[in-house]
Formats: sequence, structure tokens, C-alpha cells
Amino acid sequence: MSTAETYVGRSELRTEDLRFISGTGEYGADVNRDGQLYARVVRSDVPFGRLTGVDADAALARPGVVRVISSADLPDVRIPVRLFPEAEAQEVLQPPLASGTVRYVGEPVAVVVAEDPYVAEDAAEEILFEIEPLDPVLDTADAVADGAPVLHPDLGKNIVDQEEARFGEDVDQLASGADVVIRKRISVQRHGAVPMEPRVLVAEYDEDAGVISLWGAAKVKHFNRRCLAGLLGKEVEDVRLIECDVGGGFGARGEFYPEDFLIPWLAIELGRPVKWVEDRRENLIALNHSREQDWDIEVSASSDGTLLGYSVSGWFNQGGYCRTHGSVLLPRLVVNHFHGPYRWQGFVAQSGSVLTNKTPAGTYRGPGQYEGTFLRERTLDILAAELDMDPVELRRKNLISPDELPYLTGLPAIEDRSPFSYVEGDYPATFEAALERGDYESVRAEAARHREAGEHVGVGVAAFIEMGSPGPFEQSRIAIERDGSFTVHVGIASVGQGVQTVLAQVVADVLGVPIEKITISHHDTAVIPEGLGAFSSRATMFGGNAVAGASRELLAAAREAVAERLGVAADAVETSDGRVSAKSDGDSQEIALSDLHGLEAEYRYAPEAGGHIVVGANLAVAELDARTGEAKLTKMVVSYEIGKAINPMTLEGQIAGGAAQGIAGVMFEEFSYSEDGQPLSTSFMDYAMPTAAEIPDVDIVLLEFDQDDDDPMAGARGGGEGGIVGTGSAVANAIADALGAAGREITELPITPERIQALAMEVKQ
Amino acid sequence: MTINGETHQGEVEPRLLLADFIRDRAGLTGTHLGCEHGVCGACTVELNGEPVRSCLMLAIQADGEELRTVEGLAKNLPEGQLHPLQQAFHEEHALQCGFCTPGFLMSLGPLLESDEDLSDDEIREALAGNLCRCTGYQNIVKAVKRARELVADGAPTA
Repeated sequence: MSTAETYVGRSELRTEDLRFISGTGEYGADVNRDGQLYARVVRSDVPFGRLTGVDADAALARPGVVRVISSADLPDVRIPVRLFPEAEAQEVLQPPLASGTVRYVGEPVAVVVAEDPYVAEDAAEEILFEIEPLDPVLDTADAVADGAPVLHPDLGKNIVDQEEARFGEDVDQLASGADVVIRKRISVQRHGAVPMEPRVLVAEYDEDAGVISLWGAAKVKHFNRRCLAGLLGKEVEDVRLIECDVGGGFGARGEFYPEDFLIPWLAIELGRPVKWVEDRRENLIALNHSREQDWDIEVSASSDGTLLGYSVSGWFNQGGYCRTHGSVLLPRLVVNHFHGPYRWQGFVAQSGSVLTNKTPAGTYRGPGQYEGTFLRERTLDILAAELDMDPVELRRKNLISPDELPYLTGLPAIEDRSPFSYVEGDYPATFEAALERGDYESVRAEAARHREAGEHVGVGVAAFIEMGSPGPFEQSRIAIERDGSFTVHVGIASVGQGVQTVLAQVVADVLGVPIEKITISHHDTAVIPEGLGAFSSRATMFGGNAVAGASRELLAAAREAVAERLGVAADAVETSDGRVSAKSDGDSQEIALSDLHGLEAEYRYAPEAGGHIVVGANLAVAELDARTGEAKLTKMVVSYEIGKAINPMTLEGQIAGGAAQGIAGVMFEEFSYSEDGQPLSTSFMDYAMPTAAEIPDVDIVLLEFDQDDDDPMAGARGGGEGGIVGTGSAVANAIADALGAAGREITELPITPERIQALAMEVKQ
Repeated sequence: MTINGETHQGEVEPRLLLADFIRDRAGLTGTHLGCEHGVCGACTVELNGEPVRSCLMLAIQADGEELRTVEGLAKNLPEGQLHPLQQAFHEEHALQCGFCTPGFLMSLGPLLESDEDLSDDEIREALAGNLCRCTGYQNIVKAVKRARELVADGAPTA
């Protein structure tokens, strides 16, 4: 520990920035290997059909084309489930290339490899698929109906791993004794991560060593390494994954996709490096989609606003296959986040993933958290209207107070399905913090004045909880280099969020050395044998605790080494401010930590109770133009009980960025499909990612607590997703509020200008 | 063509994109391709001082012209000194993953040169030709304001 000012808690500017602003970052597309070939994936343009042949003759005749492969060339493998491989999901896994049946537009069917990327693209155009089209099924309601076309005959149905959870009093009895019961069908549209950098993979095989190297990994490189080793029939040690600079992840990038098998397989098969660069159209139909789901919701309450029971029953639209997120993770996350920070007397939740002829789905930042929160917070506003109660008062009445903790929710834990409790957090204080920052009373009064004048101005609030930072472990190794610097290896990943800076702050504080002396290394599985990765707001939490532990171990090793060197007792040696000092017989000697070249230490952070729940709240004000249907957000507040902000600047950056995505999910973005199953959002002209002109400033309130100064990580919680979880809910509620009574009809996302226009007309009439 | 003051010559197919020439032939990989249809702005470079989308131009269209890419922003400044836009993006945390950043930096020249007062809304409108997925844009708006201050205070831009 340093006696000087600490790095942790300070808005340290990012060490990553210099390479990004000078154009010297190294992203996947910047990697080139001598003699490399270029791959182009040829994808199904039919949503559902029997694949009877692939004709590559014309493509193969084109000069420069080296090889065309289809499923017949490959071993019979499937991409495995990474999280919760339930039985039924195993029946509907995706092969790297479509085999016998195509199940969505964008499904890989063949790969062309050529000497030049333009030639590969030309050749891909000439490959002909023989496909007998079948009737596609696109919506969950159609897919679960009797007689619906079945996507995977092996499973024999389109519902995968249906589950039920219930707790507390019987919801039907609660409803029959209630003063008010709200029943709604609420839907969230298909949208997703869409990072700015499309995927890139470069594979190279060292035949002598038997080692396959793959550049372009992200998020979960250690899982992907084991997965690729399994699919290729190689030892894990013979597979090396290298993370380059990553142009955004948001949950989707870095999962194991068909290409993650195809490109290394081709490099081995052809004996030459192979490079694949995804284009934007591919990215919009091949990267995991997310969020599409439909729920029937019933909430009961007393006339004084006391919440009684809820029942949710719904389907998650999984698309054509289950991929690495399996069949139960996403529905479970929705169900677990429906409960939120409120007291309920009982609940029942039924859910399942449903297969449709769309791009397979997976996680997107705040998975299930965003949707579960929206379903509940929207329903609460409809309930408040029914009770003629201020939506804020309704929430205040039902928020769990700190003296009720631990509060047994009865929700089944995602991992082992055991009922769990909320154990920490001040839900009312976090809610009030958002109201205070947003000046609730006065914006509410102002909105009312505008509405009396015939304008459409509304206020929306939301309170939420977020379950994140899952374990089970992360590990770190730290070494003192010859030049006196410190290299810190750690198994997390960077998806652009600034972990190199944040983790260096933690190490600098524990060691008491300048931050410039620290290099964070997290890129290469050849150097870092184990790790979990960057997801679910865990990189700072697990990475930070791992590097803090390794730094403490290094100090202990330094004390021991110096004690031995000087022949004094270990407890006579102290470390502070980057120096090791020994006292013996009144003499005092000092050595700089950085002089102990070659000294190393390791630490594995594996807390017994991994994961935690963070609480937050939002306030939004929306102004609608009834003529054009345009909604403008004039205020957006996020309050978040972070506990301790390691780097307030990067944390606020995470929250502001998450909030923008939350707004985008309510007002703009959708992966639309035509009735016959063709994806319509295949360019940035059609997938409406908002620009600076649409996103408002986000006002962020961070709730921190006094912490033990000796541990820089004490009290810190994850912050990667807090910005997105409740933002969409507050925005939807603000738009609905602006529409008055007609706003109760807002039960599905996105809320488009057309929808706003139509509802504003209702208000007029 | 001249890129960042250096001549780059080559024989190319007529269909080669300017962006691919810059990245693959000139080896300047700071120019990024985010959509290849002119919406995201990540590939923006300066052609004779004006921002253009290098994914919407062919290399042959830039024959004999003068280009500047992100690598050239601080080239004529004293060693170690950043261009005011780079400085401001760094100080205001206007980037996270950094993939869109070169495109923003190369789009903002005209805004930096103009000395008229601009409201936040006007700055946001001016930024609306570039997409960023990480920041939510508010720190980019701050960075533009900061860079304009730096330039007004005499910071050199070339």
C-alpha cells in the first residue's frame, strides 16, 4: 500500500487511448500472416429448407480460388453449449456448415478460400445451393401452435427446455383476493449487440509443433480454446487463442460461432494461414441476435398499492439453433429480473426457448435484466394508472428496505436453482437518488402543465436490480521485469472497456509503485493458461481482485526474499511505497521492489459466494411531437449503487454507453424480418443505431460507501451493465406518460414514431 | 497519391476500394472499416483537406490527390505532442474500444476550423455522420468542445 495518494478512486486517464487515437491499435483485421489465404462464408438465403446440394464448379474454375468446402468435407461436430447444457438443447445444436437443412437466412453453408479477398467474394457469388424451401416459422406464437412446422425433427417440437419456478403464496388466490389485477401481453423486439468492429479471425497452423493459433478471440478465449481443441480433436495445449484490440463486445462478440471452427480447420487442412473478415451484412445476420420475447403477465395488488402476486409466462425467440448460451440461461435471467427490488407475496414463472427460422440468439449487455425489468416496470406504471396512484408512490410503497435484508426472494439461482436472497443494497435510497437528481416533483408538475396545454410531455421512472459478476474464479501472475517494470498476467478479457487502466490502478496501489511501471497482459492463452473472461460486469471485479491478490503475494515474496538475502527474520521486513525495508540491530536497509528482478507471484481469486446484486434506478423525461411521432428525451438519469468506483471516469463511461444502448432498444433498433423470413435489417441504413443527435446527455449518480483502505477492491461491484438495465423502462414509461390514457397501450418495443403518432391521435380524439 | 505527406504508388484494379488501398497497400491500418456502405464513418479520411468515406471511393479516384489519415494527424507537430482532437478525446474519455475513433477524429476538421459559436445540439448534429457504440456520445461532445477551446487558445492542428 502506498502512503501517497491512491490511484483507485481516481479518474485516471486511460493507458489504452494513445494507440487508439494515433491509429496504432491492432485489431483483428490488422493481423496478417505470410502466405495467408482469404475465406468468404457463403450463407443460406432461404430461411428454412432441405439442402440437397452445393454446386461449386463455377467458383472453383475461377483463377485464384483454392478450395470450396461444404458440410460433407467436415467432421460431424456441433458447437457446444457454454452455459447450462440442458438435455433438449443438445438436440438442436448448430453444425459449422448447414447439413441437410438450412434454418435461417445467414446460416453458413459453404466456405470459399482464395488467394485474394475480392476473388473469394466473387467466387462466393457463383456458388449455387440446391434448397427445397419449407414454410418458415418466425414468431413464438406460431412456433408453439399445434401443427407448426418443426425445425429439428430430432427434438420433435419447437419448445426447448421449458421450466417453471414458483414461490410464496398461490398467485391465483392472491389475484382472487386482490382489488386490482392487471393482465397484459408484453413483448420485446429482436435487437442486439452490433459492435462497431465486425468479427475477424486469422488462423495459422504450425505443422511441426502441431499448434494452431487463432487471432481474433474475445470475451471468453479460454472456453473457446477448450471448445476448439475438442472440435479439432487436439490437446488444449496445442490450441492458442490470441485476443487483439477488440472493437466492442456487448455480449455477442467472442462467443464460439461456426467461423471459429471453420477458419482454423481450413488453416490446418490447407497448410496455409487463413484470414476471414466479416462484413456488416454478415454481422447483422450471423452474430447472435437477442431480446425477442413475448410474455403474458398478471400482477395483483391491493387498492392501497401493495403488490401481491405475479405470474409470468412466456417464450424467448431463440432462432434456428441453440448456440453457446443454450436454452435456459436467457429465460432464467428474464424470470429472475422480473421480481426486481420489490416485495411480493408469491409468484409463478413459466418460460422456455422457442426455435424459429431466424438468426440464433444469445446474450446482449444486460441479458434478461433489460427485458425482465421492462416487463415489470411497464406493468407497474399500468397498475399505477389503474389505481390512480403516482407511479413513484407505488414503487416507494413496495421497495424492499435495508432492514428487511436478507430478503428471501425464492427466485431459483441461475446456477443451481436453489432459492436465493437479496443480501445487500439500499433500494429506497438509490431510487430516491435518481428522483432527487432528476428533480422529480418539478418535472412531474411541468409535464402536467405542458399536457394541459395540449403538448405531450411525460416522466418515467424505473427501479431495478442487476445480478452480475459471476465466478467462479479468475487468476493472475505478476512478475518483476529486468527493466524494473511489472507485468501482470490475468485471465480476463478486454472488449474496449478500459480494463488495462483500471487493473493497473489496483496493482499500483497495492505495490505502491507508479502506474506507468505496470503492464496488464490478458491477450494470449499461451501466456495465461486459465481464465473466465469479460462478461456480466465481472472484468473489474474478478480481474481486480485477482491482480490485487497477486500483488499482495508479490509483496510477501519480496519480504521473504529480502529477509533471506539479509539474514533477518521475515517479520523484520516491511513493504511500503514500492520499497522493501529491513531493520536489524538498529540498522535499516532498503531495496526498491523494482530491483527484485525475476521475482514472481500468483494468486487465484475464487470467492465462496461469487456474484452479487447491484441496485439502480432511472428517471427520464420525454417530449413527443404528435405530428411526426418523434420522441425527444430531455432528461435521463441513472443512479447506481456501485459501492466503490475504481475509476469513476471509465465507470461513468460504461453507464452512459449502456444507457444509450438502452434508449436505442426502446426507440430505434430492431432486427426486422419479412413475412417470408427474409431479414430486413441488413445494413446500417435499416438497422437504426442512434447517432449523437438522438442520444441525450445521461446524468449519473454513483452511490459509494466508505471502505477499508487497505484493500483497493473492498466494496466494489461490477458496473458494465448498470447503464442499460432500467434505462429502457424509464424511457418507455416516459413516452407512455406523455400520451396520457392512451399510453397504457404501450406494451411492446420498439416504440416507433408510427406508434407514437397513432396513440397521439387517440389522445386527440 | 500522397498520404500523410508520403507518396504511395501502385498499380491497382479499378475496383479496389480506397480504404483497402490505404490499409493493405500503404499499411496504414488506423483507418477502419465498420460497414463498407458509408453510414458508420469509421473509414473517414481527409481528401485534399475534406473528410470523405474511404469505403465509398475507389483508390483510382484518389489518383494524384492528397490524403491525410489518423496516422498523419500529429505528424507535423513536435515529437510526443498530440493533435488537439486527440488530446481532447483522451482527456474527456471520448473513446472506449477505439474502433470508431479514427473516423470521428478525421471527420471533425471542419468543425475545428470554424470559429462560430456552436450549441450542444449543433455539435451533436455535426457528429451525426459517425456511429459509436460504446460511449453514448456525451464525452465525444465534450471532447469537441474541449478541442475547439484548445484550437482557440492557439494549439496547432497541422
